[in-house]
Amino acid sequence: MASTATPLEPIFSFVVESLLALERAFYSLPGSGIIERYIRSSHQNDPGRTLLELILVVLVIRTLLQSRTRADRTGKSFIKFSDKEVDELVDEWVPEPLSLPLTSQEELELSSVPVVVGQSGPKPKLAATGKVAVSLSGLNFTGLAGNEHIKAKAIEALRKYGVGSCGPAGFYGTTDAHLALERDIADFLGTETAILYSQGFSTITSVIPAFCKRGDIIVADRGVSFPIQKAMQISRSIIRWYDHNDLQSLEEVLQGIEKERKKKRGPLTRRFIVTEGIFEKDGLMVDLPKLIELKLKYKYRLILDESYSFGIVGRTGRGLTELYNVPASKVDMLLGSVAIGLCAAGGFCAGTEFVTEHQRINGLGFVFSASMPPLLSVSGSEGINILRSSPSIFESLQENVRAARAILDRVDCITIPSHPASPMIHIQIRSPSVPTLHPSAAAHLSLKPSNPSFILPKDASNWDWDVETEEVLLHEVVEEALSQGVMIAKAQRLRGQEMVEVRPSIRLAMTSTLTKKETEKAVGIVKASLVKVLGKRRL
Amino acid sequence: MPTGSPLPSPMALKRSSPQHSMFKKRSSQSLSHMASAASYLSALSQADARARNSNGMSPTSTPALSLSSSVTSSSEDTVLNEDDELDNGDGLVIPTRPPTSEQVFTTVHSEFGHCANEEYRCVSQHTPGTIIPGHVEQDPPYYILLSTYISYLILICLGHFRDFFGKRFNPSAYRHLMAHDGYAPLNSDFDSFYTRRLKLRMDECFSQPITGVAGRTIQLLDRYSPDYNHTQILTGTRTRALNISSYNYLGFAQARGGCADVVEETIKRYGVTTCGTRLEGGTSELHTFSEALVAQFLGVEDALISSMGFATNSNYIPALVGKGCLIISDELNHASIRFGVRLSGASVRTFKHNDMASLESLLREVISQGQLKTHRPWKKILLIVEGLYSMEGTFVNLPAIMELKRKYKFYLFIDEAHSVGALGPHGRGVADYFNVDPRSIDILMGTFTKSFGAAGGYIAGNKALIDRLRLRGYSGAYAEAMTPPVLTQIIASMASIMGVNLPPPSTSSRHGSVGPADEIYQYPGPVPASSLPSWVTLPTALSSSEEGRDRLRRLTFNSRYFHSGLVKLGFITYGHPSSPVIPLLVFNPGKMNMFHRMMKDRKTPIIVVVVAYPATPLVTSRVRFCVSAAHTKEDIDCILRACDEVGDILDLKHGIPKSERWAIEDIVGRAVELANA
Ligand SMILES: Cc1ncc(COP(=O)(O)O)c(C=O)c1O
Repeated sequence: MASTATPLEPIFSFVVESLLALERAFYSLPGSGIIERYIRSSHQNDPGRTLLELILVVLVIRTLLQSRTRADRTGKSFIKFSDKEVDELVDEWVPEPLSLPLTSQEELELSSVPVVVGQSGPKPKLAATGKVAVSLSGLNFTGLAGNEHIKAKAIEALRKYGVGSCGPAGFYGTTDAHLALERDIADFLGTETAILYSQGFSTITSVIPAFCKRGDIIVADRGVSFPIQKAMQISRSIIRWYDHNDLQSLEEVLQGIEKERKKKRGPLTRRFIVTEGIFEKDGLMVDLPKLIELKLKYKYRLILDESYSFGIVGRTGRGLTELYNVPASKVDMLLGSVAIGLCAAGGFCAGTEFVTEHQRINGLGFVFSASMPPLLSVSGSEGINILRSSPSIFESLQENVRAARAILDRVDCITIPSHPASPMIHIQIRSPSVPTLHPSAAAHLSLKPSNPSFILPKDASNWDWDVETEEVLLHEVVEEALSQGVMIAKAQRLRGQEMVEVRPSIRLAMTSTLTKKETEKAVGIVKASLVKVLGKRRL
Repeated sequence: MPTGSPLPSPMALKRSSPQHSMFKKRSSQSLSHMASAASYLSALSQADARARNSNGMSPTSTPALSLSSSVTSSSEDTVLNEDDELDNGDGLVIPTRPPTSEQVFTTVHSEFGHCANEEYRCVSQHTPGTIIPGHVEQDPPYYILLSTYISYLILICLGHFRDFFGKRFNPSAYRHLMAHDGYAPLNSDFDSFYTRRLKLRMDECFSQPITGVAGRTIQLLDRYSPDYNHTQILTGTRTRALNISSYNYLGFAQARGGCADVVEETIKRYGVTTCGTRLEGGTSELHTFSEALVAQFLGVEDALISSMGFATNSNYIPALVGKGCLIISDELNHASIRFGVRLSGASVRTFKHNDMASLESLLREVISQGQLKTHRPWKKILLIVEGLYSMEGTFVNLPAIMELKRKYKFYLFIDEAHSVGALGPHGRGVADYFNVDPRSIDILMGTFTKSFGAAGGYIAGNKALIDRLRLRGYSGAYAEAMTPPVLTQIIASMASIMGVNLPPPSTSSRHGSVGPADEIYQYPGPVPASSLPSWVTLPTALSSSEEGRDRLRRLTFNSRYFHSGLVKLGFITYGHPSSPVIPLLVFNPGKMNMFHRMMKDRKTPIIVVVVAYPATPLVTSRVRFCVSAAHTKEDIDCILRACDEVGDILDLKHGIPKSERWAIEDIVGRAVELANA
């Protein structure tokens, strides 16, 4: 540091002077404020864009001069090698194998995936046994799979449109069938418009990054599903977590962010709350009215994934918004799955015209993929028709859910985190020594909230379950139930890739097509299998 | 978009009233609407087309005749139902030349054109020893480049100018782009600049809704915009157009015929869903059948199927590589690949498009330098390329890559989205085309959306790898399984290319010619009938693979003919001469809209895809043609004629020098010679 006057000082001061003068001159130009704001803001949002426009000018000069130079490698850590040395290094290099062979446990897992012969539905025939089983694993909540009306409509559509759409939506891949389903979904939910994607997973991974960019803030539930985690990873936004399905914790996090912003006096960025209607991981249900209240109060936009509630709950299957009587237009981006909710294929995002039109250019899975086969969108539209006109479906579905819960809630070797009204029921193994929360311990825990920067909640250290043993046990339960003619499924997880390990569970999916008796019988078998396998463990 | 814009866009071509399509209605009153040069030019081309056709045949003289002998009974109703189309001067629905009595066609002409001339066939195959055309960028004259840059400059300046004044005089139109009520804008005026100020001007080229099959012809739902493309309103009428835009390489986009019949049967037997993910009870026997068939088709051990092509890349690449691994990616790789690469967490380096020298020097650099900072050796290096690039029409230089692979020991992932089905004497993709053993490629990825008229994608390779991916890919556990109708379309279309061995085993296992003796990989002949579900019966034309073979050869002929035709006309095109994707360079942004419009407003409407920045580099805006096996030679003639005329009007012919060009009639007359050159 120049503590003493050096001969360079006049030069420094001259440079600084002239820079300041330049700056002053720049600001005295009319319109410079706009230019400055333009560059600053466009640079912040998309540094590439500023560059691009700069390059545009440079390009003109370049083409005129035609001097093609390639950037050379002058990184700091670049080591120079001779050709011979490189050859040696190349010879020496041994890559790891592309994939490791499956372990025996994995082989078992893969080989025991049930294969259905013929129609999937409440009573599929299994290839392994050749016998018909009762399915409590198929995502066929409202029994649309195999519905004859839908089949007839699909065949009609086949004869009109063929199978594939052979093009992305932008280039002659949008048929009137797609437009109709988009309109039907929007009408059904009561939003302005909707946009269709050709796969449920990609809907989520496209919508979130289309809006959430670098520097934006996402406040997300700690229990969000894998696709949402991946979508947030792609978005590169700043992520803050709140405790799973705990809106109190959400409010604290929101307050914290607000305080931080006030302190830093940072610019206003886009802020989103991302959560699910019914959680894929455990079937908990979010308190939508409270969530909306918070979102409005703190001025966040809400991205709500209704993959497991659209077409599944509510009087006519409109999902959480119907169940809680909240207008769907209050949710900024409402995602749902046509594959799950309407038993066809694909997913959608419903919202305002602005929201959907934005995705038609920025939703990667929309722009860069062929639109879904038109016959599947026709099936989806017909599905909506059926749901609209027959609320009795949902009455029997809920009746079955109650029947199932009545049986399962009394089994003491398991816990069921799922909401009582959720037709998707997760069954977890009850830890052998769960201490019923000691009041003093509970008080102690609630003193310090979890750190919103990390997805792991504060009580993660108390988790006393072991993924592997539980997976093995649940696998046994599944096999046991199957041997008694009930097909159930362990919820599949990509172990090691989820941001937090998820406790293994069996996922039951209730369906309205089974009668109450049938449901009770099937769930009874599940209960017996649970007791048989888990009871053994105790001994 | 209802985003009102304060100032009218001077370039948006405005149509004054809904019914009034000024170019289709050939009435004198339309003169009064010719507000711009564009409309004038367009109307000119219309008049020309009309003049040409007036000495052609009378439009309604043939239907009865050709219907009786050329169209199967089931398809009659599709043709006759379309009441708006009895005016058949354009040959779109009914062939202009009626078939002879011994010709029997089983396809609907509007979906899959009737073409019996055996001369119009070619085999798609690399001749060993010949050089593989790389990606040559042919530069247009300077004035074109200059005017292109200037156009963009003007557009950008004008856009900013309008934004500047718009925000002051009509702030309500910009409300959604500015922060308000404590919400940051969802999309700021800066982010959306290109969309609002450039794309919007040519919105009529995009997202055109259609109805029916996207086959050889396509039915457009006519629309107009009363407010400079902010809203598009459907008029309720339809226009049938020749379709050279859909990824329908083998022409399997059909609502009639053997494949569709089997799909109908599937819907009856299986419904339209399998209720869940592959690993959670959503696996149907159809999945097992089609995965095995795909593996057989490609000549590898095993394959898996995923319900969306985009997601096949984005959800499986992360299962292959991760931290400490390096992905080397061609600079022009598809968005889905880039998505997967980003999710994987691996490091990425790109090399110049299809440039093997650039690839080799990159390989030498990365292997010798090792990982960034630590210089530890990379765990794995995965090279990701596409077989056929969908914007450039280039083929990957596979022989050279295989050479490099032996030396540098990287793993190779080829995305064959566009090449599978479309290339190779047996339609098995680039490996088949270059006669490379498919088992020597680590990962073959492809989609069914294009050649097979279905949807979704596959990944194929050795069994251990595929089993690993079944468990570790995102789709197995979290994404819906592929639906039965789509699976059956895949089974039926693939089987019809391979042929099915019916119980008395026929010995017709050789099809197409096979390449040189040294490195022959023999693709398996017809598949045994047991590889298909027992209830599937294909008509003989399909099971004998005769039709499949015909499709492959027609596609190659059409591609080669069309490509050389465009070159001989003097256009600048990119890509391999056998590529079914043919980009025609337009450069000027303003010409794209015009090209699209003028092709669509012809007597025989032709629809094209135009692509500009950001899908292409800024200057090289282009029209992209996707040739199909469904096109007849007459269709290609018709499109070449149209390009010839439009190219003259728009000044697009900057390719080979004038002296080497051919007249359009020569090209049409010597098509076979051109295609086989
Ligand atoms: C190279 C490449 N990969 C993947 C895809 C995505 O395929 P799909 O349209 O089936 O989602 C495309 C489609 O355009 C593609 O060009």
